[in-house]
Amino acid sequence: MTVALKSQSSLPALIFAALATLYGIVFLTAERERALGALLIGAAVAVVLAARFGVAERVRQSIGANERTFDIAVIVGVLVTALWFHHEHFILLMMATSLLLMVAALGLTVQFGYAGVLNFAGAAFLGIGCYTAAVLTNFTSVPPLLILPLGGLIAAAIGSILILPVLRTRGHYAAVVTIAFGILFKTFIEVNDAVGGPQGMRVGSFTLFGWTFNDPIRIGTFEASFYLVYAVAALVLLVFAFALVRRLERSWIGLSLDAIRLDEIASACYGLDIARWKIFAFTLGNFLIGMAGALYGHVLGFIAPNNFTFGDSLIIVSIILLGGIGNPWGVAVAAAFVVMLPEKFQIIQEYRFALYAVLVILVLLFRPEGLLPRSLRAYVPGWGARESSPEGTR
Amino acid sequence: MTTPLLACADLTCRFGGVVALDRVDFTVGDGEIVGLIGPNGSGKTTLFNVVTGIYRADAGAITFAGMDLSRASPQAIYRAGIARTFQRSRMCLPLSVFDNIMVGNHKRLNHGLVFNLLRREAFAQEFRRNFDEARELVEIFSPPLAARIEEPAAGLPMIDRRRIEICRALVSRPRLLLLDEPSAGMTHEETRELMDDILIVRARMAGLTIVIIEHEMGVIERITSRCAVLNYGRKISEGTFGEVARDPQVQEAYLGAAAPDVLTVGAPSPEATSPEAT
Amino acid sequence: MDITLFGQYLINGLMLGVMYGLVAVGFTLFFGVLDVIKFSHGDVLTVGAFTAFATFLALKAMQVASPWLQLVIISFVAMMAMALLGALIAKYLVLPLRTAPALNTLLITLMLGTVLREGVRLIFPDGSNPKPFPRLLPSDAYTFGAFTLRVDSMILLLSGLAMIVAVHLIINRTKLGLAIRAVAQDGETAMTMGVNFTAVVLITFAIGSAVAAFAGVMNGLYYNEINFGMGLLLGVFGFSAAVVGGLGNIYGAILGGFLFAGLQTIGAVALPFASAYKDVFALAVLIAIMAWRPTGLIAEKTSERV
Repeated sequence: MTVALKSQSSLPALIFAALATLYGIVFLTAERERALGALLIGAAVAVVLAARFGVAERVRQSIGANERTFDIAVIVGVLVTALWFHHEHFILLMMATSLLLMVAALGLTVQFGYAGVLNFAGAAFLGIGCYTAAVLTNFTSVPPLLILPLGGLIAAAIGSILILPVLRTRGHYAAVVTIAFGILFKTFIEVNDAVGGPQGMRVGSFTLFGWTFNDPIRIGTFEASFYLVYAVAALVLLVFAFALVRRLERSWIGLSLDAIRLDEIASACYGLDIARWKIFAFTLGNFLIGMAGALYGHVLGFIAPNNFTFGDSLIIVSIILLGGIGNPWGVAVAAAFVVMLPEKFQIIQEYRFALYAVLVILVLLFRPEGLLPRSLRAYVPGWGARESSPEGTR
Repeated sequence: MTTPLLACADLTCRFGGVVALDRVDFTVGDGEIVGLIGPNGSGKTTLFNVVTGIYRADAGAITFAGMDLSRASPQAIYRAGIARTFQRSRMCLPLSVFDNIMVGNHKRLNHGLVFNLLRREAFAQEFRRNFDEARELVEIFSPPLAARIEEPAAGLPMIDRRRIEICRALVSRPRLLLLDEPSAGMTHEETRELMDDILIVRARMAGLTIVIIEHEMGVIERITSRCAVLNYGRKISEGTFGEVARDPQVQEAYLGAAAPDVLTVGAPSPEATSPEAT
Repeated sequence: MDITLFGQYLINGLMLGVMYGLVAVGFTLFFGVLDVIKFSHGDVLTVGAFTAFATFLALKAMQVASPWLQLVIISFVAMMAMALLGALIAKYLVLPLRTAPALNTLLITLMLGTVLREGVRLIFPDGSNPKPFPRLLPSDAYTFGAFTLRVDSMILLLSGLAMIVAVHLIINRTKLGLAIRAVAQDGETAMTMGVNFTAVVLITFAIGSAVAAFAGVMNGLYYNEINFGMGLLLGVFGFSAAVVGGLGNIYGAILGGFLFAGLQTIGAVALPFASAYKDVFALAVLIAIMAWRPTGLIAEKTSERV
């Protein structure tokens, strides 16, 4: 009696993945701003036309019906891109950063997009992960494989001191407490010379089974920037986080989180333990952000308090607001743009905080659901690939 | 009546200076359909809110199926087997119809982390089972709505939203169903249909007890075996609908003065047929 | 500790309390009339301070020499400019979003705050670095034995308190204040009673923002320096003060301001060796208070009907 989506060809999805990869490579290669501008406008025009002629809908349905295939295609695409640029330190660094920021944004998605818990200290939790990794790598001999989860655990543990105010119904409690915590973290790190103070500290290389990540890669005749490893590692972490968050959403847990976000009173009357789910979402989110931070510290090689300001936390919030609240793909796309745009258009660097803030204001006013609106919950693969109604951020 | 299913004894609830419930005694027997009526602001919804744990009573006790629920949380009360609808439609509009109904099914779903994240085959089975159940339940109320069970709830008309809310309350197979003005915003025909469907479900779920707050007296007369009347937080009358309608105290509460025939359904007087403002 | 130090701490604490209180009053007024948290309020303070600074530079160029005149003019200009800014924000950003979920307004005003903050940083030459604020107050000091009383601190303190009293009088003794209180209590009913809802809201935002500008000038005069991030911390503490005092309650806001200032001062006293940690301590205390008693000393007005 259950209705399943009629089987769709995976071709549109695969073609889309291939085109996106190609576009990514071209975009990353382009240097001159006019070329970049043309590429951006071209992409916007292509998207609008695709939507107009129903192509976008076909692609979406194809993706919805062939998810595993599409996922693999995207992963392959990213790997291909990384290999294409195997000599380019800077591009690989950008890719690694984008991928890790996607992980952090996914953490925030669980907290805010699903459970409705505000967290304006995203950068601080990222920083906790970074500094944990730095301290563990530099001063201890904790096995490297444990460093990532430890970064996550410590971020989650420290985040738990904020639990009580975060549980309050009115959003502004969580807002101001997390803002305060973010500032507290940055200030605390700044005055602490043990972790380098305002100058920051170096982070030793990540090592795995004897392989020092920071050494340039030489396998036979293949040479590559050492950032390639980090980019791949970041991709692995992203795949894990993405799968986790997506499965979470497509389960009874995801339903519970949405329910408490949308109507606490009704949820309580139907047995949902509000506190338990908020704590769960907040903690899991911080864990993901902390893990991303632990790897990020190694990627950067050198971390300083100035990387983790309130403005940086707002950037992570901007990513999920721009990309589409609750939609992991939207978040991924937005993270890539947010990281890469200022790097490619150097003029934006100085203005990026203001620019993103303005963009978010415009999005909230005119398209609150974001770039890629969230679709209805698909409990089993290939289920509904329909868009939900625009709900704004709530 | 043998041991009542729900027994509210001496319930009092104050908000600042206002006494919303004043020493109210209210019992419901197992399997009964009881009406709760009274003018606006008389405390009917407050009674529901106290019974379901949203408000805490300042005095008095609530016993349900032998359990003392006076200090219980809304979650515990739901688990004990009481489900309710709300006067003001409370739905998760961006979610699908199915999602909305599943919110009410919380206690019958497995929320374990391992189950939901790792044992996806077993999860898929539980999902399909519940999906079929939900669909069957909605079909009783409206086959067209059942066909749209995967659509977002936001686009649907008010009557469908009411149906979804009632399905949400019924899906967990509660022992006691509290309906708060289910007919608000609907025509007489729609209300009649809705009540018939509720009775069908009740017939299939042996022993479903219902308490219904209503302003439309036709509903009360037709489906309840007994009703209680509240006014200014106090219970002023109790009995069958006919008895209560003839009670001069009740008439005075609604109209300000005793007047026979006004609460009679079908009498051609404007007051009886005008919709009550909520 | 000797009396000079004690006196210094006391004055510091009181100044801080007044500034937090002034910012908190704005937050509480905005929440009162529109149920809205305008997170950009702290940054309005920053813009106000910089507006005063820019005005000062203009006055210098125009060769206006008298410090009192300069003081009055820059304060006036800053307050009027911020009043206008506040009203514009209310009219074009906050009012149109009344029907949208409250979260949207919170996020938009947060982002707006960033725009204001970054705007100041980008517009002013070398904006990322602190700017010296002119010393416009007399720098005399009176010594009573071991106790030194600085005239400028006194003037600032007294004017801050005067501003608080002025706001109190406006809210409680004028018809405008009555209208504001009516709208704060129940906007719809106020409208049916003939109160011009929009005008009251705009004026309330104007008043709150002007008060913030005043606090910004005070801040600049007291520390002799302004920087583009000054509003952030003041906004955080001001908002928390308003929350702890019960959003919508003006006395609570002021009380909250002094509470936070007092706790911070105690912290500075108790940890003299770790003065660098004073902000950390202050923020930790804030988090602790919000955890323990977020609705604070006086309850916030709630409006959910089940």
